[in-house]
Amino acid sequence: MQINSLSEQGTLLIAAITLFLLAAFAALILIKSHKLCNIVSNVICIIAAFFGVAASVIKIFIDNTSTHINIFTSTIPFISIEIEFDKLSAFFVLCLSVLVICVSIYSIGYISHYYGKRNVGLFNFLYSTFILSMLLVMISSNAIFFFFAWEAMSFVSYFLVVFESEHVENQKAGKLYIIMTHIGTAFLLIAFMIMFSYTGSFDLRGSSTAIPEFAKNIMFVLFLIGFGTKAGVIPVHIWLPRAHPAAPSNVSALMSGIMIKTAIYGLLRFVLCYLHVENTWWGISILCIGIISAVLGVAYALMEHNIKRLLAFHSVENIGIILIGLGVGFIALAQKNEFLGALAITASLLHTFNHTLFKGGLFLGAGSIQYATHTKNIEKLGGLIKKMPITALLVLCFSLAICAIVPFNGFISEWLTYQALFANIIPGEAGINILSILSVAALALAGALAAACFVKLFGISFLGRSRSAAVENAKEVPVTMNIGMGILALMCLAIGLFPTLFIRGVDKVVSGMVGTSIINQLQGGFIIAFYPLSISGNAISPLVILGAIVGVILLAIFVIRIIGGKYIERKYGTWDCGFESLDSKMQYSATGFSKPLRIVLKILYRPRREVEIEESASSYFPTSIKYKVSTEQIFEKYFYAPILRVLKSLSRKVKFSVQTGSIHAYLVYIFIAVIVLMLYNRLV
Amino acid sequence: MSDFLDVLSVLILLSSFILMANKRIKSYIQTFRIQSALIALTAGIMGIDILSKEGRFDVLIVCVIIIAMKVIYIPHLLNKAYTNVEYKIEKDFFLNIPILIFVCCMIVVFCYFSISNTGGINLGIINLRVVNSVSLILIGLFFMISRKKAIGQIIGFLVIENGLFITAMLATQGMPFIVDIGIFIDMLTAVLILGIMVFKINEKFDSIDMNELKNLRG
Repeated sequence: MQINSLSEQGTLLIAAITLFLLAAFAALILIKSHKLCNIVSNVICIIAAFFGVAASVIKIFIDNTSTHINIFTSTIPFISIEIEFDKLSAFFVLCLSVLVICVSIYSIGYISHYYGKRNVGLFNFLYSTFILSMLLVMISSNAIFFFFAWEAMSFVSYFLVVFESEHVENQKAGKLYIIMTHIGTAFLLIAFMIMFSYTGSFDLRGSSTAIPEFAKNIMFVLFLIGFGTKAGVIPVHIWLPRAHPAAPSNVSALMSGIMIKTAIYGLLRFVLCYLHVENTWWGISILCIGIISAVLGVAYALMEHNIKRLLAFHSVENIGIILIGLGVGFIALAQKNEFLGALAITASLLHTFNHTLFKGGLFLGAGSIQYATHTKNIEKLGGLIKKMPITALLVLCFSLAICAIVPFNGFISEWLTYQALFANIIPGEAGINILSILSVAALALAGALAAACFVKLFGISFLGRSRSAAVENAKEVPVTMNIGMGILALMCLAIGLFPTLFIRGVDKVVSGMVGTSIINQLQGGFIIAFYPLSISGNAISPLVILGAIVGVILLAIFVIRIIGGKYIERKYGTWDCGFESLDSKMQYSATGFSKPLRIVLKILYRPRREVEIEESASSYFPTSIKYKVSTEQIFEKYFYAPILRVLKSLSRKVKFSVQTGSIHAYLVYIFIAVIVLMLYNRLV
Repeated sequence: MSDFLDVLSVLILLSSFILMANKRIKSYIQTFRIQSALIALTAGIMGIDILSKEGRFDVLIVCVIIIAMKVIYIPHLLNKAYTNVEYKIEKDFFLNIPILIFVCCMIVVFCYFSISNTGGINLGIINLRVVNSVSLILIGLFFMISRKKAIGQIIGFLVIENGLFITAMLATQGMPFIVDIGIFIDMLTAVLILGIMVFKINEKFDSIDMNELKNLRG
């Protein structure tokens, strides 16, 4: 054990790591007492996360050097725990720590429904280890250690996904998740091997000049597939909408909020910082994947009625938006346009942070709904706003944020992404121009669909009348759960209202990587921000827009009240067309709400409907009508199913022809292998 | 001394040909005993040489262990197993014996072809001793393939081990003592387990035919 060159944020970081370990072991030691174990472990996690926040804030805003800590060097080659803490790591550690603080506060209340029923000690052990493994992924300094941390993260999250393992669909989701994540990891491993074979070192901060051009291209593709699988981009997204609903909600918040962002970290660390972007097509392919993920992700989200699956598809969409920013940045950097590159990467990093906040919050909200009503199906909810007003308000905040509506934070980063796309339209570059214009359109489409989707989510589940008995008995959730979500909502609002402060931090991170600072080009002051600023002359200030909206509303009230004269207000139930009484079946359902879009996007969904009418004496008064609509997952049907079929038939053949069970056949294989090796020895 | 070693390596190779041509399980064991004795003799000669030149006597200890284990104890164990099974003679082969012998010749030629230009082993002239002993390994493996009964498999395994030992011995002038001891203990355990397995297979399937194991496949 040796710890060298510790600066103050290094000490803070080590303290955070130690505390996460402590939390994990405290959970195991106190395994007998569920309540104590949960509270102690989560409180330690919160303290550790505060250390993480302190370390990363110091690193981002004050310290300009890179901290290198060598914790453990072994005599086994390449096995050493080396930590390098630079601004990029610090930024992602900040995302992680902020989310962990909120989620851990939330967990104190949320996990209470496990008391006496499940192994809370084990859950908290896995929870703390999961956070620790993500932290190590973000700060590891050599590829081997990175790989270990990455695998630990995958495994621990697998165990968390299958934590409620008595349901068959959870087991299936876990299996799919572990298969997909390992396919991705295999690609990363190959890329690391290529890296080592040319440079002779696994050091991530080393130089990649020794790697020839074609190997760099291969490495880029491998990184894109490997990290893309973790990020859940289309078409390798299929694990995401299954694994997120299967996991407990606080874990889904972490998985969606920060685990899939480790892939973004990986792309930045390996492609931008290690390989350096040299080819325009790298950026173009990331941009295309981003567009496809953004549009299709939200399109599939619209068709989902399971609240957590819906949110999982929105993660696909938001990863798409982040990748659009990243793609534009890479294109610009490849063309040596450093300012645009910095702007686009700032946009995508800011969106990463914002998505961590609001998507984490939304999953926590989904957890609150599940905690109160024990269902995830929004068709069974309704009228929750009367039962759980605080949760409703917080979920509304997050929904507005994810729909990019002023004055929340989603708007800021999407606006910057739009600006980067507009700025990318440079005279003379026909292909990229068309792509940029198309991506602006795609981003706008995704934004509109997302808004429709969250109108559905919020409207169906919180407004109207309750659709099931579970909702009737719902109560407001424990106060810690609302505190956890409340902090996230406040941060969403803070970034939305005072964006310059946060952009300043992101800008420091980006200028460390790209070498150009954009903050001076952004107009506006501390409170009222105008962007962007000088490039296109467009200026927008969320605070002013908010003020304008409030002004218009006040003006309208003024006009109606004062100028319109007096009128009598009568409070009465909704007109029920002469029926006996209104009931919950008469309101808009989620299926009905999404019907117009299902028709418009028929080519994508391929909807099938079945109507079963049970006739009675008169055909005008049937006893029951059943309406069932199903949509098709085209990627699973036309991409994965054929591959699986081929694999299955191949393995069956192998089982019967190669793996015969005869010892002699196996000996012959060994014999042939030895002969071939000896031949190789002779001939090569 | 070099002449002695050349002659011994050829004799060891020859013993594997004799083994291949055998049908009776009793004579498998006898041939293996002779082969082990030849290997022990090789180790003894090298041991004396090394003792006189360098003063190390570990190779001599290895020689004594070989005599105790491979010449006396393991053949004794195998004889005990042999008395308990009803099959005394191998009757059906995948290939007949002349073809087996021919394939063995091909193996030796192939080993010569493969090893003749390997760096580090051949000092100026082609190292025929290493060629012979590598052939012994491959012939042992081929013996396992050609025999259907479990005792044949054990003998084949032991011949492979003999081949590995003599290859290491002739190529490196004696491996580190601890490595040799480790290998011997591994092999002893393997033979003990395999001997028990033979009984078990005999009990379960009323035969020691390895093809019966196919039924275990899932």
